[in-house]
Amino acid sequence: MGMIEEVVTIELPVGENFRIQRCRYTSINEKPTKRISVVSGIHGDELEGQYVCFLLGQWLREHPEAIMGTIDIYPAINSLGIDSITRSVPFYDVDLNRTFPGSKNDFLPAQIADGVVNAMRGSDFAIDIHSSNIFLREIPQVRIAKAQEDVLVPLANLLNIDFVWVHDAVTVLESTFAHAMNTIGTKTLVVEMGVGMRLGKAYGHQLLDGLLNLMAHEGILDIEPLAVRFPIQSNVGEVAYLNATCPGLFVPVIEHCQVIEKGSLVGHIVSALSGEVLDEVIAPITGILFTIRAYPIVYEGSLLGRIFGEKQ
Amino acid sequence: MKRFDIVTLESPNRAPLRIEGFLFGEENTTGPSVAIVGAMSGDHINQLYVASGLVEYLRTKEEEGLIIGRILVIPAVNPYALNMGEKNWPLDKTDLNMMFPGYAQGETTQRIASRLFGELKGYDYGIILEGRRDQGMCLPYVKLMQSGYEDLECTKDLGLGFIHYRPHDPVETAMLQYNWQLWETKAFSIVFGKNGAIDQSTSNEVHTAIVRFLSKREMLNIPVFEGRKSNIVDPNRITLVKASRAGILISKVQCGTHIQKGAVLGKIIDALSGERLEKMISPCEGIVTCQYAHPLIFQNSIVFRIASVELCCQIDTKK
Repeated sequence: MGMIEEVVTIELPVGENFRIQRCRYTSINEKPTKRISVVSGIHGDELEGQYVCFLLGQWLREHPEAIMGTIDIYPAINSLGIDSITRSVPFYDVDLNRTFPGSKNDFLPAQIADGVVNAMRGSDFAIDIHSSNIFLREIPQVRIAKAQEDVLVPLANLLNIDFVWVHDAVTVLESTFAHAMNTIGTKTLVVEMGVGMRLGKAYGHQLLDGLLNLMAHEGILDIEPLAVRFPIQSNVGEVAYLNATCPGLFVPVIEHCQVIEKGSLVGHIVSALSGEVLDEVIAPITGILFTIRAYPIVYEGSLLGRIFGEKQ
Repeated sequence: MKRFDIVTLESPNRAPLRIEGFLFGEENTTGPSVAIVGAMSGDHINQLYVASGLVEYLRTKEEEGLIIGRILVIPAVNPYALNMGEKNWPLDKTDLNMMFPGYAQGETTQRIASRLFGELKGYDYGIILEGRRDQGMCLPYVKLMQSGYEDLECTKDLGLGFIHYRPHDPVETAMLQYNWQLWETKAFSIVFGKNGAIDQSTSNEVHTAIVRFLSKREMLNIPVFEGRKSNIVDPNRITLVKASRAGILISKVQCGTHIQKGAVLGKIIDALSGERLEKMISPCEGIVTCQYAHPLIFQNSIVFRIASVELCCQIDTKK
C-alpha cells in the first residue's frame, strides 16, 4: 500500500487548494536503494500517463515484497488542467513545461514548477510521460537531447518503447521539466505515446513492462528483468516531416503508425466545401510512420506525420 | 502611406489570415528605419490600440511631409486570435512570439513567424509593443535583453522612466526581440498596460515615447519635449511584495505611486467569509512599478513590485 502525500499545496482564491499528490511506495524491510519518480500530467490534456500510473500502482500493491527502493507516482502535476481538459495552467494559460525550474518568487505556474522540482529533488530517475497532444498520435518513444545521449540512451533502451529519438539541443527546451531534473542530477526520460485527451490501453501496458524492467535493472525492484523490445535508434536514420501544403480536412488512409514505402499514400487533404481533393500526402522516404495526425483540420504547415527511415 | 499584406494565409473555413503593415516614408530614403510590431497575442489590446493610433498619427505627419525616415507599423500580428478572444494561435494554441526566427518549411505558426521575420529583417530599429505575460499591470518600461547585440543607448531616447536590462532566459531565445537583435536590428520591447484592456493614460505615454524616439532618431521631423532620464534597473533587484494568502485583492495604490516604508499597499480578504486575511505593508520606500491586476489572487502571487533606488539601480551598464 502506497502512502499518499500532498507535496505541493498552494491556496486558491475561493475555498480550495491547488495540490499535487504523490503515492510513495518504499521498501518494507530494507533500507531503500534508489528512488524513481514516475510523472504524468504536466500537460492537462495528456492522459496516457494517468493509466500507466494506475497500472504501476496496481502492480506495486500486489507485489510489495519486490520493492527495494522508493517509487513515487505523480499522476497529475497540472491537476487543475487535467480535471478541466486544459493543456496549460488554467487562469494563466501558460505551458507548465516551459516554466521550469520555476521560482517561489514568480507567478503561479513558476511556483508549481518550483514545487515539483523540490518534491522530486534527490530522485535517481524520473520518467515524464506525455501523450503528444490532441493533434498527433505517437508510437511509444523517448526523446533525448543530444547532450544527454550517453547517459540516457542506455536507460531508454530498457523502457520497452519503440523508438529513441536523440535530437539536437534546442535552447527553449532548457525550460522543461526534463532539463531541470537532468541538471540537478536526476536522470530523466521523456516518454511520448498515444494522443491527447484519449487513453490507449495497449501502450499503457507496454510502458508498464518497460518501467518494471528499468526498475529491475536498477535494483529498485527485486524481480527478474523482463524481455522487452529494443527500440529503433534515431542515429541510424533520419526523420522526414510531412507538413500540409494547403488548408483543409486531412483524411488519412493509414489508421495507425506502421512501416510505409517511399511514394505510398499517407492520406488526402480535402475541401469539405467544394468536395475537391486538394492534395495527396505521399511518403517521401521508406520507413516507420511513427507520428500521424489525429486532428483532421489543417492549415498550411500543420504536421501530418513523421517518418523515420534510412538516411537518403 | 502604403498599406499592404505582409503575410497572408488561407484557412480551412475562415476568411484568410492577413497580417497588414503600414509603411511610411519615401521608398528610397537614406534615413534610418524602424519597424513597430503591435499585438502578437489576442489579449494585447492596449498594444493594438497604441499601434493603430501611431498609424493614424503618422498618416497625418506624412501628409505634412514630416516623415524623413522609413517607418513600418504592424498593428496586429495575430488578428485570428484577437477576433475570437483567444490569446494564442486559435488552432494549436501556440504563442506566435515563441516561434522566431520561424521556419519556412515548419508548422503553421513557424511559417507565419518566418514570413513576418523576413519582412522585419534589415530595419535599423525594432520596437515591440508587449503586454505582460502574467495577470499584472505596470508602468510602461523598456525590456532589453542582453543578447550581446543589444543597444542600450537608443532606448534612452524614449524617455520612459525605467529600462529593465537583463540577461535573457532560455525561453526568450524563441522570441522576436532576441532574434531581431541577432539579425543586427536594434530591437527592444516596451511592456505596458493590462492585458485585455485599454488604459488611456498609459497608452498616451507610450505613444508619446515612440514619437519622441522617432524624432530623436531622425525619422520624424518634429520638435518634441524631453522625456524622463531613464533609470536602468536590474529587475531581479526590484522588491517583491507577495500574497501570503489567496482571496480577493483590494489594492490601495496605483502603479507609479511613490510610497514610504510602512505604507499600506492593500489587503486580501477571504472570498467566502469576508474576513481580512492579510494587510500588505511596503517593506521599503520606492515606486510601485507593477501590481497584480485581477481581483482574485493566488497564494504566493506577486502583488506589488517596488523599485527602490538603493536596490535596483546597482547594474553594470558598460557596453
